[in-house]
This record gives sequence, C-alpha cells and structure tokens, in this order.
Amino acid sequence: MSHSKLELQVDAYLDGELASRDARDFKAHLKECPDCARLHDARVALGAAIRAEVPALRAPDELRTRVRAALRSAAGPSVTRHTTAPLGRRWLALAASVVLVAVGSWRLASNRAAGEALSEQVLTSHVRSLMPGHLTDVVSSDQHTVKPWFNGKLDFSPAVYDFAGRGYPLIGGRLDYLGGRPVAALVYGRRQHLINVFLWPATQGPGREPGETMRQGYHLLHWTTPEYTYWVVSDLGMAELREFAQLVRGADSAATR
Amino acid sequence: MEPNELGRFEAIVLPHLDAAYTLARYLTRHEHDAQDVVQDAYLRALKYFDGFRGAEAADGRAWLLAIVRNTAFTWRRRYRQEAGAAEFDEQLHSETVADVHPEAALLGASARESLHQALDQLPPEFREVIVLRELQGLSYKEIGDVTGVPVGTVMSRLSRARGRLQRALYAEQEGRRHEP
Repeated sequence: MSHSKLELQVDAYLDGELASRDARDFKAHLKECPDCARLHDARVALGAAIRAEVPALRAPDELRTRVRAALRSAAGPSVTRHTTAPLGRRWLALAASVVLVAVGSWRLASNRAAGEALSEQVLTSHVRSLMPGHLTDVVSSDQHTVKPWFNGKLDFSPAVYDFAGRGYPLIGGRLDYLGGRPVAALVYGRRQHLINVFLWPATQGPGREPGETMRQGYHLLHWTTPEYTYWVVSDLGMAELREFAQLVRGADSAATR
Repeated sequence: MEPNELGRFEAIVLPHLDAAYTLARYLTRHEHDAQDVVQDAYLRALKYFDGFRGAEAADGRAWLLAIVRNTAFTWRRRYRQEAGAAEFDEQLHSETVADVHPEAALLGASARESLHQALDQLPPEFREVIVLRELQGLSYKEIGDVTGVPVGTVMSRLSRARGRLQRALYAEQEGRRHEP
C-alpha cells in the first residue's frame, strides 16, 4: 500500500469514518505494521496539538450585535410595522403638543416636519452604522482615547463617558453628519445591543424639549442640555434606553457642576 | 418577511454564530474581514432561508457554514487577499512526501507555536477541512456538503493537510535541533 493510502487509512480510522468491520481490521493491522503504528501515533499527537493550540473561537459580542441588527434591518419593515405605527402616531401627538406650548401654533407644522426629518436622519445613521465597517472610526473602551480623537475633526469637544461599570461599555466613536452639520457619534454596548449617541452644540430656538419615539423597531430619545443636543438610538428596550440616557444626563450635570 | 419567519431563522441559524466566526476567522486570517464575512453570510442565509429544509438548530450548521465558506472565498477573490498565491490545484497541492519521521510524533513546545503559522500557510482549501474537522467535529459527509466536493476529496484533502502540518512541525523541530 502506498504511503498516501496509508495516511488516508489512518486518518479515516482516527476520524471514525471507517465502516465498523474495516475499523476492526485496521486496528488489527496497526499491531503488526510499525509504519502504520508510527503514523497513527504521529496523527494522534498532531490532533492533540491542534486541539490545544488552535482553538475554536467565540464570536465577539460586537459581531453578535451587528448580525442581529443587520438581520432585523434586512428582514424589512413588515417585521416591525405592526408595532411601530401606533407608537409613531402617539409620538407625533406628543411632539405636537410640546411644540405647541413652546413656540406657538404658527410654527407647528414646520417644526413637526423638521423634528421628524431629524429623527429619520438619526435612525438612518444608526442603521448605516450597523453595516460592516461603518460602526466606529475610533475603537476604544477608553474615554480618554475616544474624546481626543475628535480633536480637529469637530468644532467642539464632545463629552465622552464610560458606563462599563453600569453595564453600558463604551465601544468607540465616529464622525457623522446630521441636520446639516458634522456631529459626534459615540457607540455604547448593552449585552447584544448597540447604542448610538449623537451630540452637537445646542442652538437656541425650538425643538429643545426632550422626547422619545419609536421607528421601525428602534427607540429614539432626545434632549438638550445647556451645551449639547443629544439624540440616542438603539434597538434596546425603551426602559433600558431611558436608564442609559439618565446615566448620560447625570454624568453631564456632574461634569458641569 | 413575516415576523415568525425571522424568529425561526434566528432559532435555527443564529446558534451557529461561533462556528461561523471560527471558520471565517481562519479562512480570512483577519479579525475584521472575518466579521464582515460572517455578517454578509448571515444576510445571504436570510435571503435563501426559504429554500432551507431543516427544522432544528442542528440542521442549520452545515448549511450556514457552506454559505460562510462561499462568502469567504468570494471575498478572497474580490480583494485578492492571497495575491501571489497560486490558484488551488488538487494535484499540485496533493504531492506526497516520502516518509514521516518517527520523531514527528513528539511535538515540542516550540513546534506547537509554529502550528498556527503552518495552518496559516496552508491553501484555504486545506485549511478549511482542518477547521471543519478538528475544531468543529464535522463528519466527512458534512464537510463535503460545506465545501461542495465529494467525500473522497474531503478524505484526501484532510489527509494531505494533516501531512503538511505534521511535516511543517517536524521541519521546525529539526531546524531548531541543528541551530548552534
């Protein structure tokens, strides 16, 4: 039997791919044939070395999150349509009432349209960020790496916090473009979920009131501090996203105190 | 897609994310490429899920790995990551070497370190059978389903791939022994 045939036999035997009778015969042959016995021992050692040194891997959490989000997004609007429509209308009603009190009825229509356009942009940006290679320009769980990365890229220095201790680790940041201006996008994780935080310097005028909405299965929160306008978006549940927003607001007010 | 259908897809195909990532990681040899390949493969899998006949999570593994594998090979062609590497040639890459030295069975620590390197240097067609068999425990039949070749070819590729790894390890050991 040629050498390569021997190797095939030894491998198939060790892999349990020989029929039971062939396996019995080959086992008997191993006792009589030093060449095959040597090959057999070498293969056993190789197998042990591969198992010890070349591990099967665990997918990173980031990938798990990305894949889930991409699937939801690709599965299309029919998956989320049933739940989004009523909530969307409810938010519109809320936004409308807030705007009404704040700026007067004559600006109602245009502000509502502007708010909706912005939340649409925020959502689009979030979904785009979940596509391969779009999530982060700077990958770091260290706020002291992420914050300086924005230097020279924006006309403001965004507040960057890490809430890893609270279960919302910082993943990184990137530049994005919203409402006609470059903005900071910070990425945080929560188990399998990703949270995008968009912020830019607050401007005077309407639309400063906090709000929350749901679009296409994603939750969006926004609020304005004296310094920044914040938008937060994720497929995370609204309760947890509110908790996260509260952490950001708490850290903000602690920083400016 | 119906909501139930996405749920079914997630139940059958998502449990194999680790296996998908492992295969993609060893095939692309690059962390980010592996992640992109896996995501791309999952989106393709979702698209073709209509044609999938299995009902349980266990059924989804070989099916998904076949898609991951094909996605990785497409990427490799598209981005020419293996520029300079010869196209795979079953005959050429299957040349055998005369004998296995008895001491090849004795793998020292230094030889183990070079195992990764030896695996990286295998043609992807050999690397994938090693990953599928040694790391994921697929049967020859399943490996044939994933790679789209007959069981006989799986057998010979696996045996040749192991032979190459073994010789690479042995050569590394031998080289060290002759160092002053």
